[in-house]
Amino acid sequence: MKVAVVGKGGSGKTTTSAIVARSLARAGHAVVALDCDTNPTLGISLGVGDTETDRLVAMRQGLDSGDAPHAPSWGELIDRFGSEAPDGVRLAVVSRIDNPEPG
Amino acid sequence: MPLRVAFVGKGGAGKSTISGTFARLLARRGEPVLAIDSDPMPGLNYTLGLPVIDVAIPDDAVVEGPSGQNPRFRLRADLDATAAVEAYAPIGADGVRYLQFGNHRGQVSTQLRAQAAFRQIVNELPRDRWNLVGDLPGGTRQPMFGWGQFADTIVIVVEPTPKSISTANRLVHLREATWAPERLVAVVNRARSPDDTATVAERTGLEILASIPDDDSVAAADRVGLAPLDSGKHSPFVLAVQELVDQLTSVSGSNTATLKGVLA
Repeated sequence: MKVAVVGKGGSGKTTTSAIVARSLARAGHAVVALDCDTNPTLGISLGVGDTETDRLVAMRQGLDSGDAPHAPSWGELIDRFGSEAPDGVRLAVVSRIDNPEPG
Repeated sequence: MPLRVAFVGKGGAGKSTISGTFARLLARRGEPVLAIDSDPMPGLNYTLGLPVIDVAIPDDAVVEGPSGQNPRFRLRADLDATAAVEAYAPIGADGVRYLQFGNHRGQVSTQLRAQAAFRQIVNELPRDRWNLVGDLPGGTRQPMFGWGQFADTIVIVVEPTPKSISTANRLVHLREATWAPERLVAVVNRARSPDDTATVAERTGLEILASIPDDDSVAAADRVGLAPLDSGKHSPFVLAVQELVDQLTSVSGSNTATLKGVLA
């Protein structure tokens, strides 16, 4: 199944997502936790720590900077850019904005 | 000179509640204040004592220029920034004017028009008259795209938690923008002990202008849709925001004070 968690800032989306992801993984499911926030912090709630959360390369930036063939498969993206989180959850970040953009 | 301040930070850090209270306390000093809500999911109106409203600048206030004109849309010729504020920014509690970027709507063209007018007003409003207090959406996107560039001071609202501190450390990169503000500072929100304030200072390296306590009366007021300023006097939250107002106005007013001293 595919679940998206939405809501107002600070209402607990990230914390809820992380607990759901780890609970599903503990129940034996293969789980990908996808951080779609341009200010990604899901790694912190999953328990990988703030350093690893910041180190993790966002898929968009990774593809933009590399010379790899375009649009590899979904699974390949998760393998290449994802990180291991507790309970076997695979964490990936879609896009991160952390520097001033022109215009 | 009037103040130009923008509040940024992680979603839920307390930007709207702090910036709205800040705008109202500033207005109580007797100067005109424009509170700027650029969140497409606006929320600043609650703190300004205004009901849930959609008061985006209407389509007919904006005209499309000849092809190639940049920006493509501008306010009608008979509307300057001051007139547009008087026409389209409703008056909230303590006389604060409320300018809203507007809700997300179906039509992209409507958003482009409202957005162009919004940015023109913020850019062209006379600097010597209006105090500007901006409440940006949570996260990094709008700040990094320059939506706070009207501000002389950008205040990062930080809770003493790893997620909020990580967000603050990304926002510190605003210093590297070509339009970087003169001052980039922090306020700590929902502090439960002096250690919380020290943690934020140590992990962000930012100057902390105020430490706002975790105040149950603010949470209680929030549950019934009341602004902190309308739910009892002198709560610890309000006193701390007043401290922030005093800090920023004393810096802004220091040249004037010196000049007065010389003249006397």
